[in-house]
Amino acid sequence: MNEPKKITVEQMLARAFAIEREAQARYADLADQMLVHNNQELAELFGKLAEIEGKHATKIKQRAAGAELPYISPLAYRWPGTEAPENVDISVAHYLMTPHHALKMALAGEQRAVDYFEDMAKVAADGDAKVLAEEFVEEEREHVALVKAWLAKYPEPPAGWDEDDDPPMLQE
Amino acid sequence: MTMDATPMSEALTPRDYKSDIKPVWCPGCGDYSVLGSITTALAELQLPPEDVAVVSGIGCSSRIPAYANTYGFHGVHGRSLALGTGLKVARPELTVLVASGDGDGFSIGGNHFLHACRRNIDLTYIVMDNRVYGMTKGQPSPTTEPDWAESALAPGGTGLRPFHPLVIALASGASFVARAFSGDLMGTAALIAEAIRHEGFSFVEILSPCVTFRPDEREWRKQVHPSPVEPTDDPARAARRIMTDDGFNTGILFSGERSAYAPARPEGPVVEPAYFEAEFEV
Repeated sequence: MNEPKKITVEQMLARAFAIEREAQARYADLADQMLVHNNQELAELFGKLAEIEGKHATKIKQRAAGAELPYISPLAYRWPGTEAPENVDISVAHYLMTPHHALKMALAGEQRAVDYFEDMAKVAADGDAKVLAEEFVEEEREHVALVKAWLAKYPEPPAGWDEDDDPPMLQE
Repeated sequence: MTMDATPMSEALTPRDYKSDIKPVWCPGCGDYSVLGSITTALAELQLPPEDVAVVSGIGCSSRIPAYANTYGFHGVHGRSLALGTGLKVARPELTVLVASGDGDGFSIGGNHFLHACRRNIDLTYIVMDNRVYGMTKGQPSPTTEPDWAESALAPGGTGLRPFHPLVIALASGASFVARAFSGDLMGTAALIAEAIRHEGFSFVEILSPCVTFRPDEREWRKQVHPSPVEPTDDPARAARRIMTDDGFNTGILFSGERSAYAPARPEGPVVEPAYFEAEFEV
């Protein structure tokens, strides 16, 4: 990974905040997509996920205890992948996708966040930063467990879920 | 104030450059990511939204001005570069992004493309290339492969050699040429930011899959790869590279130093809108 060699508490908090905020924005975008394409169930689910990520972001900001976190451009984070770890891949969205697909995407995102903070704990600048990274690891593991439980309610749909005899066409 | 010293509460984020209008693209369309890349690039540069204009023509990709919280103009088919050129000449202090698709930009607007490259006005031209006319239900476009046979209008494929926009741009005088993939939102954002920074006509071709009419383009994710060499400022070398690559080479492929063309502004007072209103009064 390409992260700086030593991560401070402030940098860790800024990264954690960015992860949650970007995930919130991504889920909100997906909720909008599903709403526009009349997949109400998924619109609500993605909306709920956006709301949850927003709460996580607020919690992290509160944790900063009023300290002003530095603005770091999205291009300057140097995430291990091409985007923030919790961001789900917008390109795999489908207008007929089901809660199973959405929650599988969310689960993968939460697991990437676990992996990310585990790596961050290894490059923490001091004991405080390391403790913080380990706390984030635990929190993300809890999120993994919660999404797994949620996913268990939605078994994988049979093949052909994406077939549509009367597909919508985009018109001006 | 440097970016590192900017407090989070004062910085413009990608969200600040998005309008409240919900895009109507098909879920999975690459253009969603391109919108994200544009807003991320603008946030990277911390450009005030009121100093930016996004101009477009017609097509799925040309809906972008409505989704950006900047000045915008959704123009007529193929004329986005003409509009963008006029705007930049009249208001050189604005950052002007011109958005287009492969049909709008290379067929209907092909002539404007050549001359915009030649003029080298300081514009950033973003073409979302999905190798199909998506909005009109999937006809072959200038960049469609000759053997793509899925369109009812071209059974058996067109058999025509595809247009090569990067080479044409280079030959016509564009001073910055890059190729990106929409599936790499941040990488594309970095290229767009670099294109905006570049003084002169910057052309960014973004491979942006049409998941509805070209579902095969979902495979592009496996085919794209970063350019293995550094950008060159030598157009001949760039041309050789672009002509011989596999079409999935991403990154800045040419960055020249030709001075941007900026026509002298007329002396005297700026003409007020009332002048034109009187001129066209019936």
